[in-house]
Amino acid sequence: MIFIKKIFLFFKRESKLFFRNVVDLFSNILFFFLSIFIFVFALGADEQLLKSIGLGIIWSLLLLSSTLSLRKFYEEDFNSGVLVIIHMRGISYELLVFLKILSHFLFVQMPFLISIPVASLLFNLPTSEVYNLMFTFIIGSLILSCLSSMSASMNLLNKANYSIGGIVVMLFSIPVIIFSVGINEVGSDYKSLINILLGLALIFLGISPWVSAAFIKLALRNK
Amino acid sequence: MLLINNLSFFRDENLIFENLNLSLGNGQITQLRGKNGSGKTTFLKVILNLLSSKTGEIFWEGQNINKNIFNFYNQITYIADHNTSSRKLSVLDNINFWKGLSSSNLSNDETLLLLETFNLKKYLNTETMYLSSGEIKKLELLRLILEQKKIWILDEPYNHLDDSSIEILNQTFVDHTNNDGIILFASHYNPAVNDLEILEFS
Repeated sequence: MIFIKKIFLFFKRESKLFFRNVVDLFSNILFFFLSIFIFVFALGADEQLLKSIGLGIIWSLLLLSSTLSLRKFYEEDFNSGVLVIIHMRGISYELLVFLKILSHFLFVQMPFLISIPVASLLFNLPTSEVYNLMFTFIIGSLILSCLSSMSASMNLLNKANYSIGGIVVMLFSIPVIIFSVGINEVGSDYKSLINILLGLALIFLGISPWVSAAFIKLALRNK
Repeated sequence: MLLINNLSFFRDENLIFENLNLSLGNGQITQLRGKNGSGKTTFLKVILNLLSSKTGEIFWEGQNINKNIFNFYNQITYIADHNTSSRKLSVLDNINFWKGLSSSNLSNDETLLLLETFNLKKYLNTETMYLSSGEIKKLELLRLILEQKKIWILDEPYNHLDDSSIEILNQTFVDHTNNDGIILFASHYNPAVNDLEILEFS
C-alpha cells in the first residue's frame, strides 16, 4: 500500500510541475503550428500537393517538436538530487524511469493529440487519414517518450553539445515514421502495421527503463 | 551501529582517501573536517553507496549494506550541500512530497509548528525559487525532522544559516543524539556541541 502511495505521490508532483511549467508546452505547440505555416507558405497554395504530403509533414514536425523538450526530461531532477532522494526512499531507478516515461507520455505527448486535428485541417486531410494519424500518434508517441528518456539520460553529464540528444531520438524514430505514415498507403490491410508499431512500443517500453537507469547510475558515479 | 571498515576510494587512479576506519555508535555525533577538496563529500557519498569504493565494507547493525541497500536507506536522512527542493513547487508541496515519500507520521499541526520555529510559515504557498538561500537551507534541514530517520548524514549543514538558526540546529542535533540517533556531518564551521567527535581529512 505504501509503495502505491509513493507512486501516486510521484505523479502528483509531476502533475504539479506540469501545471507550473505549462508555458513550455504552449511554446512547443506554437513551434509545431508555426513550422506548419512556414511549410505551407514555402510550398505555395497547391491544394493537391499539400494534401498528398500533409501527413508526412505533420509527423516529422511532431517529432521535431517533441525533441525540443528533451533536456528537461531528467536534468532538473538529476542536478538538484531529487532522483537520489526518491531512490533512497525505496524506488529503484528502473521503476523511476518507467514512471517518468509514463508521465512524459501523459503530460508532454498527449496534449499534442488535440493539436493534430487542427493541423490536419490546414492540409485539408481526409477524415480517415486524421483518425489513422491520431491512432498511430498514440502508439508512436509512447515510443518517442521511451527514446527521449534514453537520449536524455545519456546526456546528463553532457553540458556542451545540445544537438546530440535530438540526433539519437531522430535516428531511432525512423521506423516509427515509416510504419505510421505507411498506414495510409496499405488501405484495408493496416492491422499488420499497427501490430508492428505496438511491437516496437512494447520493445522500447521493455528495454528503456534498464538502459536509462544504467545511464543514470553511470552519471551519478561520475558527477 | 554503523561500522566503516578499511574504506579506500580512487577517482581515475587518483587516491582520494585510503584505509579509513570509523565506527558510529548510537547517540554519537561526528564531524568531518578538512580542507576544500580533501574528500569529505566523496566520503559521505561512498557511505551512501552513491559512489562505489575500491576496497572496504560498510556494515549497518552487523550486516553489509550492499546485501539490502533499501533496508539501510530506510534508516537515513541525507541532506546534500545543494538544495533538493523543487524550485517551481511551493514550500508546502515540497514538504508534503517528502513527508509522503518517507511515510512520516508527523501530523499537520506539528509540521506547521516546525515551520513556525524556522520562521518559514509565511512562505507556505510561495514557490521555493523566491526564497533566500538561507531559507532554502532551512527548508532542506526540515527534512531531518520530517523523515524521522535514525542516521542523519549532512553535507555542509551550516552554510547560509544565521546565528539563531545555527542555535536551533545545534539544539536539534543534541536532541537527536539524546534519542540514540547517529549524526555524521561535514562542515567548515565548528559548532559548539558537547561530545562532538572529529575526524580530520588530509
